[in-house]
Amino acid sequence: MPIQIKRGLDIPLVGKPNSTVEDISPSPICTVYPREFEKMKKRLLVKEGDLVQRGSPLFLDKKNPAFTFCSPVAGTVKHIALGPRRVYERIEIEAVQKDQPLTFPTFSIAQIAALSREEALSLLQKSGLLALIRQRPFSRDANPNAKPKSIFVNAMSTAPFQAEARTVLQGQEAAFQAGLNVLTRLTEGKVHLCAAESDKDSVPALSQAKNVTIHTFQGPHPSGNSSVHIHHIDPIQKGDVVWTIRAVDLVLIGRLLLEGAWPSTRIVALGGPGVKPEARKHYRVRIGTPLSHFLAGKLEDGEQRVIGGDVLSGAALARDSSLRFFDSSMTVIPEDRERQFLGWLAPGWTFYSRSKTFLSAWFRKNRSWTMGTNMHGDPRPMILTGLYDRYLPMNIMVDFLVRAVLAHDVDEAIQLGILETDPEDFALCSYICPSKMDISGIIRQGLEEIEKEGL
Amino acid sequence: MKWFLRLLEKARPLYEKGGKLSFLYPLHEATEGFFFTQSTVTKNAPHLRDPLDIKRTMMTVIIALIPCTLFGIYNAGYQYDVVNQIPNANFWTHWINGAILVMPIVMTSYIVGGLWEVLFALIRKHEINEGFLVTGLLFPLTLPPDIPLWQVALGISFGVVIGKEIFGGTGFNVLNPALTARCFLYFAYPAQISGDRVWTAVTDPSKTIEGFTGATPLAVLQSAPDQSNVVELLHQAGYTLKNMTDGFIPGSIGETSFIAIAIGALILIATGVGSWRIMAGCFLGMAGTGILVNFLPGQDVNPAMRLPFYYHMVIGGAAFGNVFMATDPVSATATNVGKWIFGVMVGFITVVIRLFNPAYMEGSMLAILFGNVMAPMIDYFVLQTHINKRSRYLRKMAYAER
Repeated sequence: MPIQIKRGLDIPLVGKPNSTVEDISPSPICTVYPREFEKMKKRLLVKEGDLVQRGSPLFLDKKNPAFTFCSPVAGTVKHIALGPRRVYERIEIEAVQKDQPLTFPTFSIAQIAALSREEALSLLQKSGLLALIRQRPFSRDANPNAKPKSIFVNAMSTAPFQAEARTVLQGQEAAFQAGLNVLTRLTEGKVHLCAAESDKDSVPALSQAKNVTIHTFQGPHPSGNSSVHIHHIDPIQKGDVVWTIRAVDLVLIGRLLLEGAWPSTRIVALGGPGVKPEARKHYRVRIGTPLSHFLAGKLEDGEQRVIGGDVLSGAALARDSSLRFFDSSMTVIPEDRERQFLGWLAPGWTFYSRSKTFLSAWFRKNRSWTMGTNMHGDPRPMILTGLYDRYLPMNIMVDFLVRAVLAHDVDEAIQLGILETDPEDFALCSYICPSKMDISGIIRQGLEEIEKEGL
Repeated sequence: MKWFLRLLEKARPLYEKGGKLSFLYPLHEATEGFFFTQSTVTKNAPHLRDPLDIKRTMMTVIIALIPCTLFGIYNAGYQYDVVNQIPNANFWTHWINGAILVMPIVMTSYIVGGLWEVLFALIRKHEINEGFLVTGLLFPLTLPPDIPLWQVALGISFGVVIGKEIFGGTGFNVLNPALTARCFLYFAYPAQISGDRVWTAVTDPSKTIEGFTGATPLAVLQSAPDQSNVVELLHQAGYTLKNMTDGFIPGSIGETSFIAIAIGALILIATGVGSWRIMAGCFLGMAGTGILVNFLPGQDVNPAMRLPFYYHMVIGGAAFGNVFMATDPVSATATNVGKWIFGVMVGFITVVIRLFNPAYMEGSMLAILFGNVMAPMIDYFVLQTHINKRSRYLRKMAYAER
């Protein structure tokens, strides 16, 4: 029986990527962004001019020296760029033609299931792939010393244009099962695999998954968010730690263990109204590939915004940047700076809105729409109430949670359930907010405040 | 309109930081925002935003008020023509005389209130909030058409400054500003506005039609002698269920027609701008209390208790208050359960004040203001229940998982 999710919204954005997978030729440059690993203190292990192999360590985490992050390619470290306050911005590696992977130990699927927790953890830390596992509360990178009460694998993609599990897992059944097996070594509790009801039986990697408990969900976004899964299956209590990982990321871990080489390519979904229709699909592309190489000839004309991730929770990327380690999808939408005359009187026939004050919400349902980045209004104080709750299918009163965080009332925020959430869960609330507030940002601030206070 | 946009954008640096007129920035922003939507784009996730903003929300309320306003204008003229026995009065003279009566009141409210709003925006350096457009129209609709304009100016000043701005502006007010303004006039000038005399503009008292006593339906109820039949008394005073529903009776500008208010309510509910829970709660509360008092003892002494409950809906300003005032999202409760409680409470108190309070006729205004004051407490209790439920849910799930 699937868990039915009623509240939420599937934004009808144009440009869904189809399920075909195309290979992108390796580019001569590969860039790694140490800044992606926010909460680590990095120490570089290479300097400019050094030769590296695929899988040789680039930097470590000073707080946990066993964690090293590895190079996705073999080549020469060409440039290390420093940002403000001498933060390591990016490491550029000039790839050599001949790929020389550093070998990691290989295992069979059965052997993985017999590993000890320490062995499994040390492998994940040495390769840096432990960072793919996220930890709740506070949505941070997994702390190897924490004892997660359960691990949630997310094989859903309800936010617009995340990489589909059914496409990424195709042909990767063994790697996926290897990944699941290693997860079972990391917790004394259960490993929960959460999938879309429609995928459960038709995707072999999911239907044949072993050693895990499978749950299915049905309903609009955010039914595919891990917070919703955790809330309905094994909610986080005070003091609990839960780990989460996306199925599309778990495949990378599985490949590392089965092949013994650092998995440098991943499948990335490319979609959105800013992508040419024929280019809206999945791509197998090397991590760190420059966007100029990856997106060449694929975008529509005009000012477009490239987003690493999905429109709801991703980050805008500069055109001269590269594919980041954590991004399994890319969305391109037009920058919309158009100013309309007397917009508050517009009947609203030509654009999408969730609000019934626009004609399109009455008469033009079930269509896909091209949407841009316009704010459609100015920030105002919180005026309308009760809107947000319709977009968060958890037992949480969003209005009051936001107020508690704004008032720095940590205790009340915890009572109202902030520890169960992740900023991305509130993206729809921000999307819908007529006062144009940044609800996700407020929640992020609240979580940081609570983490700092050490609760 | 491109030339106009260019003009506005060219003038912009003058009002921005460092410009000569930077102290007028909120005014420029409001003008620009009135004519053109902004070109600002999202900075971070979510990269998309829904086109609904507060400006459009408030405009929807204004649109919902149009039927009441138009009817109010027509009816003010109609009542004026009838009572003063204007010769050859017809459809058009009703409109014209109504507009002559009502438009100055609305304009005074907008101009004086607008000045305060702009003044505070300039000094406090906050944006000019669209919420004022609603307050500035709601307030005159609750006033009688014969009110002196200085009272309108005084009332809206009190409402905007004390009711809203001293709390920090729209979004932070405890009470509904329009009702605060109305309430101020109600207590400051009870002789003119407490609701025992109707407010048809009378030019020459000697020329009024025969039988024009000027008692409002609520005053009829209150002054009903022991053991009398109140419905009969209302009929004698010229108030039938029909004319109180369609609204061709003397009264405050916007509140007489139940039909016009119902159209407004439909617009608010269909667009999702007004809370249907509050409206339903209010009417259920009134109906429930109206039925309840039909069965209470003491009906001989207070014959108004015999009034069928549906009369309460159409008499006085309750319908207008329930639809447009009680649903103000800032001063009402914010939780869904709280909205029901708030609505039922407002409806209950409205009827109780009407029937059992010898000093004031109309309970709706006081009931809503009381509800505004109580709203945070109602929400507090709803929230505590929610927190308890949450922790029970967490405990249950933890038990199930073991």
